[in-house]
Amino acid sequence: MTPRLDVFGGILATLMAGAVTAAEVAAGAFAMALAAGLLLAVLSTFARSRALQLAIAAYTEWMRNVPALAHLFVIYFGLAAIGLRLSPKLAAILGLGLVGAAVLCDVFAAALRSLHVGQRESALSVGMTPWQTLRHVLLPQMLRLAWPSLGNYTSQLLKDTSIASAIAAPEIMFFARNLVTSTFETTLVYVAAMLLYALMVLPISWGFARLEHRMEHSR
Amino acid sequence: MNTFFSVFLQYWPEWGPRLAEAAKVTALLSSAGFAIALLLGALLVVLLRSSWPVLRLAANGFIQAVRTVPLLALLLALYFGLPPLGLTLSGFWAGVIGLGLHGAAYVAEILRGGLSAVHRGQREAALAVGLAPHQVFVQVVFPQALRVMLPPLLNTYVALLKDSSLCALIATDELMLTARAMSSEFFLPLHIFLLVGVFYFAIAFPLSMGSRLLARRLSQGRKVMGAA
Repeated sequence: MTPRLDVFGGILATLMAGAVTAAEVAAGAFAMALAAGLLLAVLSTFARSRALQLAIAAYTEWMRNVPALAHLFVIYFGLAAIGLRLSPKLAAILGLGLVGAAVLCDVFAAALRSLHVGQRESALSVGMTPWQTLRHVLLPQMLRLAWPSLGNYTSQLLKDTSIASAIAAPEIMFFARNLVTSTFETTLVYVAAMLLYALMVLPISWGFARLEHRMEHSR
Repeated sequence: MNTFFSVFLQYWPEWGPRLAEAAKVTALLSSAGFAIALLLGALLVVLLRSSWPVLRLAANGFIQAVRTVPLLALLLALYFGLPPLGLTLSGFWAGVIGLGLHGAAYVAEILRGGLSAVHRGQREAALAVGLAPHQVFVQVVFPQALRVMLPPLLNTYVALLKDSSLCALIATDELMLTARAMSSEFFLPLHIFLLVGVFYFAIAFPLSMGSRLLARRLSQGRKVMGAA
């Protein structure tokens, strides 16, 4: 049994390098999705321009109804064909970030729209500027409502980094497939890969659930 | 810009039929996966409501495990990991089973949520007026639960449809793998991958809209900012 454990340890060590890349891709995409998603949600909720709202809706629908793998291929292979060559990692961050922006835009916009109109009207009527109203009244309440969905999105994103292996980004599944062809320890490699994903995803979902619990008790 | 779009017109007679053929495989793949997900999801809910703690624990463990593991890892494990154990699946069937297992965890949550959304009084009242337990479920509880479950179930189908693109990585000739083959044949990856996106969009978007319309018809008229 000991030699098998040795093999398993070696596999895990190799896959760890992939886990670092996966975490980097997820962190980059998350930052992009959060910033762009928030901006798009605020614009689509409060902007008066019908054209702008339509453009945002078209963007989110396109991003959400087409597989992420297709977006990655467009960005990695498609852009390279017209002279814009991105590294696999950067293409993965960009692709997952653009999809995430659409997902979080919908999440945030739904949360914003479900706040009572009185929140905004009374903040404005006591003399707060629209920016202050957004920053101190609407966004904090919005974030509390959107929190569970944000948690789901984040753990989904961590798992979705696995598809970056299709454009040869050196993440967990990429190393796993290489290890399978070099060691033939198929079962062991995939068990180790799944274990690593679980080790990344579980703390994230527990963290979100804990904070959600705290937020509910601080009301 | 004109030349960018003229490429589509020029190659459509060649590309269109090939992608349409592959779209059929994608539709079949995701529909078969969804069918398994529905059956297995229903079974999981039965287990979750069982009076045996072991069965409840097993069902919960399955759901948690599936939700923690990326679908791609599951697909690769089914396709490459089973042959050494003596079970060889084609890419298509590994895909169907992988999508089915993955979808089942989500379907089970939806079914459980839908059933618990029906007020307890409905069941009690139906029993009180003398309906048999199976009548209570079929004629009273389930129809009401279905209204809640239908929109998210449609969304799950759309998710599986998009996820079926990962089967390209286990050698299933569906839309994505066909597009990859075409892109190395014609050297026009940008056009081809955008076009394959249009194919997915054409199936997924109407379903997403349908789900949203259904959901809207079920929501009550609370005064919210979206309506202002």
